Amino acid sequence: MFKFPNIHIGKITIILAIFSWICLLLVDSLRIFGEVNQLDVGISPQLTNILEIIFFIIVYVFFNDNINKKQNNRFLNLIWRAASTGLVASAFFVASYLFREVLMADTKLAEDEQLKNLSYHISFALTSIFLISTSLLWKNLILYQRTKNVVQQWQAFEIILLMSMFFVLFIEGGETRFGLVAGILFIVIYSIILSVNLKWIPYLTIREKWKSLLFLFIIIFSAVGLFFQLADLQPTQDINLVSNLFLMGLFAFVIIYSLSSFLVTLFNLPTSSVFEQKLVEAISFQKLSQSIKPGEDEERVLDILMDSCMSAAYVDAAWMELHLPDDEIKVAHQRFISDEERGNLRKTLLNTDPFGDFLNTNSPSNIEYIYGKLNYEAFASIVIFQLKVHKKRIGNIFLIKEVKEGFNKEMIDIISTFVGQACISVENYRLLNEALRNERYKEELEIAKKVQQSLLPSHLHHNDCFEIHGFSAAADEVGGDYYETYAYNNHQFAMIIGDVSGKGTSAAFNMSQMKGVFHSLVQINLSPKEFLVKANKALSNCLEKKSFITTTYYILDTKAKTIQFARAGHCPTLYFNQKKGGAEFLKITGMGLGMVRNDQYEEFLEEGYIRYEPGDILLMYTDGIIEAKNEIGEEFGYERLKSTLDGCSRNSAENIKEEIIDTVYSFVGKDTLPDDDYSLMVVKFKG
Amino acid sequence: MLEITQTKDEACTIITLKGEVDASNSVELDAAIQEAVKSGSKNILVEGNALEYISSAGLGVFMSYLEDFQESNISFIIFGLSEKVGNVFHILGLDQLITLVGNKEEALARIYEA
Repeated sequence: MFKFPNIHIGKITIILAIFSWICLLLVDSLRIFGEVNQLDVGISPQLTNILEIIFFIIVYVFFNDNINKKQNNRFLNLIWRAASTGLVASAFFVASYLFREVLMADTKLAEDEQLKNLSYHISFALTSIFLISTSLLWKNLILYQRTKNVVQQWQAFEIILLMSMFFVLFIEGGETRFGLVAGILFIVIYSIILSVNLKWIPYLTIREKWKSLLFLFIIIFSAVGLFFQLADLQPTQDINLVSNLFLMGLFAFVIIYSLSSFLVTLFNLPTSSVFEQKLVEAISFQKLSQSIKPGEDEERVLDILMDSCMSAAYVDAAWMELHLPDDEIKVAHQRFISDEERGNLRKTLLNTDPFGDFLNTNSPSNIEYIYGKLNYEAFASIVIFQLKVHKKRIGNIFLIKEVKEGFNKEMIDIISTFVGQACISVENYRLLNEALRNERYKEELEIAKKVQQSLLPSHLHHNDCFEIHGFSAAADEVGGDYYETYAYNNHQFAMIIGDVSGKGTSAAFNMSQMKGVFHSLVQINLSPKEFLVKANKALSNCLEKKSFITTTYYILDTKAKTIQFARAGHCPTLYFNQKKGGAEFLKITGMGLGMVRNDQYEEFLEEGYIRYEPGDILLMYTDGIIEAKNEIGEEFGYERLKSTLDGCSRNSAENIKEEIIDTVYSFVGKDTLPDDDYSLMVVKFKG
Repeated sequence: MLEITQTKDEACTIITLKGEVDASNSVELDAAIQEAVKSGSKNILVEGNALEYISSAGLGVFMSYLEDFQESNISFIIFGLSEKVGNVFHILGLDQLITLVGNKEEALARIYEA
């Protein structure tokens, strides 16, 4: 691939500019030489004009490129560049004037046409550079905060200037003067229109404004000076580089825009402090509204709030107090006031109406702020704002001034906005933290849920003599229901169903203890009653005072076809007797585990005994099923459970389980979530 | 929803329960009983005429005070429970540990007997 050499426009244009300027100088020197010596050198004056146009264009291209490249386009910098070029051009004028009039006053050199010509050309070049660069710098100012309209206006202006360069080529002789005046008039009017674009001025600080006034003055002074002096330097009548529309137009534009900037800046001076203040307020507001990042704390926002309020109202002293949980008050920020003064002042305020009432409560007040006179040492006016976060009053901010009636409506409005915004930031920060915490809790619960699900058996022990199916659903993520089986051998089994008091996490912990107790005690082959006595003893040491566990423990022997069971306060087992053709609750006395934590416990227990027949059904369940409520608050109850079992007693154990669950759920209603844990276990005996 | 009112006269403190006691408001029941115990009352009666439901957490609250009652020689009687709520006490076996009677008169009679 062909690679373009890295062309440096800046360097090339400098060389070209110098070259074209030298050409211009030589051509004009020759013309003067011819004139002085009355010779026809055969050079048309148009050549001078063409070279001049080329010079203009090259200088224009150079500065256009140069100014756009500069990163530091601060307004003051731009104006300073223009002013400094003006100074250099003016300095050359002064120097050449001194040289001619003072040093060489009486020598022949002063009258030398060629020397005059050289000095004229240098002046011309400097003036052109000054005018073109200044115009391009002004372009940046005009196009500040540009709209499409302004951009179009400027483009049109550039085209007008380009056309004005060539104007000199087409108009000759007597008509020139009239055409020139008309052209200049047009450019003057256009410049006035462009001079309205002064949006950059308000953004200067006062200091910058003073500086820019000085620079603008230098620019105007230089431009006006150059304009008059350049005409004086003209070596001969024929060689006139100045009387062309382009240069005249630039003079007009630079002077008009500088003058309008100068005047507007001057008249902006008195109000600029207000504008600066507003700018500071806007920045403060932006700082306050940026929500606090995690890891940072509220202090920072309150700190910014404090500073913002103070600068917004030119406050002489201020402090911020925060209410701590136990009615204590903490002074978070304190500015330009001593601890002692603050303490005394607060005491005075508490005893003065209307501040006393406003300060005495820690609850949010309907009044957002309170403003009034103060008569305490040097302080004469005060405003107190309450800080309200999440409908709670977290504190107050006190702003004090030494002048009477020192707070006007605008100040109070802006402070009120600051306070509001800061409180929102703090509130958002707190909500975010809370949300993060909740998210963590949810994850923990999710883990607990998985752990607990693994505590319920996936497989229930049985042999060919009976079917067994279980089901459990928790109201919360974790629940307190528990069931399990154990096989001693191929015909003896232990079964347990239990329910821990309470709900949720605490119940789940106790349920896992129960599982531990079951697996320990089931090993030693105890009778149901002995099992419960031992379990009670073990759990008495583990359960907290208010907790207990209800359970029923069964030992099933398929060889002897017997069920032996004991009930520890658990819902009575429902037993369907095939022969009788109906279900019955097995009501034996019992007592919940952990309710009597001494040796007397045994006295509250009874042991039941059943000899089962094929087709009989043993239904174990937890109270969640009995207490399940429908939309009108009616409980599912023991009777519904009994009739449901009676209705499906011919089905398999699995079908019975499904039937009961469906009946309970449809009773509760599909849209309601269970508010208790439901569990059940169905045993159906076969022939 | 649970509403608890407590009245105290020379003879006894009566805690009236109205509504439902569940896991979330059992703390209020706990506070009410604790207050009655702290007040030094030797006879604490609980009126349950308007008690519609009591969960295991609520029963746990009663259970947790049994020892305190014994130690401080407090007679604790619950009266006026509906059949349904009474059954919950019965199934759990709590009726064997707490005296349950039908109405206030019976409850007061029990106190005077003792």
